[in-house]
Amino acid sequence: MADAAPSTVDHLRVGTSGYSYPEWCANGFYPPGTSAREMLSLYARRFTATELNYTWYQMPKAAAMERMLPKVPPGFGFAAKLTRTMTHEIDPQGWPSQAVQFREGIAPLMQAGRLLAVLVQLPPAFDRADTNRRYLARLLDALAGLPVAVEFRHRSWAVDPVFTELEKRRVTLVTVDVPALPHLFPTLPVVTHPELFYIRFHGRNARGWRSGNMQKQFDYLYSDAELASWSRDTIPRMAARARNGIIFFNNHVRAQAPRNARMLMAQLASTMDPPQPTAADPSR
Amino acid sequence: MDRSIIHINVADFAVAVERCLDPCLVQRPVIIAPAGAARATVYDMSEEAYRAGVRKGMPLRRALRLERGMTVRPPRPARYEQAMADLLRQALPYSPLIEPGDRDGHLFVDVTGTSRLFGPAVDVAWRLRRQARKTLGLDPIWSLAANKRVAKVASRLVKPQGEYIVAPGDEAALLAPLPLWLIPGIEAADLDRLHPLNLDHVHQVIGLDPVHLQVVLGHRTAAVLEALRGEDHAPVLPVGQAPPRVALDHTFATDTHTSTDLHAALRPLVETAGRQLRQQGRVARRIGIMVEHSDGRPCARQLRVEPPSANDLALWPPARHVLTLATARRTRIRHMRLICDRLVYPPAQLPLFETERRTVLRQERLVNALDRIRKRFGTQAVGFAMEQMASAPSIKL
Repeated sequence: MADAAPSTVDHLRVGTSGYSYPEWCANGFYPPGTSAREMLSLYARRFTATELNYTWYQMPKAAAMERMLPKVPPGFGFAAKLTRTMTHEIDPQGWPSQAVQFREGIAPLMQAGRLLAVLVQLPPAFDRADTNRRYLARLLDALAGLPVAVEFRHRSWAVDPVFTELEKRRVTLVTVDVPALPHLFPTLPVVTHPELFYIRFHGRNARGWRSGNMQKQFDYLYSDAELASWSRDTIPRMAARARNGIIFFNNHVRAQAPRNARMLMAQLASTMDPPQPTAADPSR
Repeated sequence: MDRSIIHINVADFAVAVERCLDPCLVQRPVIIAPAGAARATVYDMSEEAYRAGVRKGMPLRRALRLERGMTVRPPRPARYEQAMADLLRQALPYSPLIEPGDRDGHLFVDVTGTSRLFGPAVDVAWRLRRQARKTLGLDPIWSLAANKRVAKVASRLVKPQGEYIVAPGDEAALLAPLPLWLIPGIEAADLDRLHPLNLDHVHQVIGLDPVHLQVVLGHRTAAVLEALRGEDHAPVLPVGQAPPRVALDHTFATDTHTSTDLHAALRPLVETAGRQLRQQGRVARRIGIMVEHSDGRPCARQLRVEPPSANDLALWPPARHVLTLATARRTRIRHMRLICDRLVYPPAQLPLFETERRTVLRQERLVNALDRIRKRFGTQAVGFAMEQMASAPSIKL
């Protein structure tokens, strides 16, 4: 684990995985009738960071990233998910050039100092086989210099040599909160990079997890008690070992993610230095 | 509410289907054209053949001279229709609003307001593509935008493979650097008027004062600006709804079988159909005639319009031909219906060869002039004389 142990967290940011969900208008997070083009600026009034999910579907384009920046206040940060052609649909020949393209695509965020992390989310079938280990090593080499965070879904990666290697490479291991299902990577509050820890809350909907439908998989609302164990114990412990922390809620269905994010922010405010919202609440 | 329109596009559809059936064709230059026909023309071609210079409608002999080792396969429309039906079936669970193309590998799916059921639109688009790959062996391009026009442009940008998400509000930035011919709704005549002024890209035209553009584009100004701004209010039609078409009828006062009477009745139908197509900004790929004989027996015949057109002068020869086919029986005709269907956006690219190019542009200019006269003085103000319409593009006023 990380040797350096900063005593305080400079920046702890809480947000949601994605922000452009039309259904959030009906659920009260955005005012009714909000256009998709207005969502980011409204979102940025409540949270200080977001995860860009669409970069998983499509290679990011520098021009689109540049257009996003003026919509958010100074200090707002982004985590960009690595494109699927390097994680879930790997093109054996093409991926190195795609890694270069990805770097070019997110360059405006990097140059503006707004890139918090590049999230490498690996699929459930990506186990710790030799070929996969070699691929991951080459991928991390190709992404060297970027603030990379790796999220495993297969539990075979939950072993010390993996954490040691990530630590050596200064790569963040993503801590996940998921349903307690066999084969899933467990919840491990391990900090492998003294600069950044990264937590993703996916919800605990065990029944919907393998439904193949995102609306069922991520349909979950954390209770106060469930989040309290994180805010009282786990997050402060991780925060003690890293300078920055980002926490995202992926249970986006029916706007449960922003609701839980606000809930966690309120709890953290009473236990440690709170993450500061940047501007007035748009609903006020 | 912003609309979420997915465009699924299997590039070089006929070749893609043939490659599913015969994997040996993968990564080889393939031409789809009727084998054995003396004057066969190219129906479709692979990306490799396209790069070698092969184009749709090109004589097969000329295409084969462009590169050695071209594989030629005959068109099998039934297979393409089946593949289209399979694509459509996969999209059906996601929306009632699905507009398939005509055996061309295009599919528009309107998933506006379905995110509570199926998740974000982008995820639906990705799943459609994944299903097509997994179950059909096709690898379609997909794009997501707020309307059909922008979704189609986005697909064209990544052809032959890939995906493109156009965030609402990003339409203008997407279109600005693009060449005009890439925008659906921009016609060859528009390009011909703008090119001499060195106006070849969207940002060059969009920045001009509409009053100045009016001098160059005339009545087309509003439509051109709408296209270049990426606006398109056309809905995605519900599944099963009859595809758009123009159908016009004529009932003879006295049953007849003389060619003069038949042509005299057909001529205004063709002119009206052409005008309606131009108003819709579409071109017809097929023209058909249904006649009802004096004894009540019907007969229907149809022909492909190649290249697709909305120009009266281009529609007239196939219309006359199909009339001849439909009235081959020596019985008088009581009723005639003209149908222009398989409507598509007009191709903005001009013909490859100078002579054809001149003819097309001259015909377009003439028809546009007629439209302007009719708009001002009424539809009866001007028309084609029979003999001239049959041959040369000249008119009698």
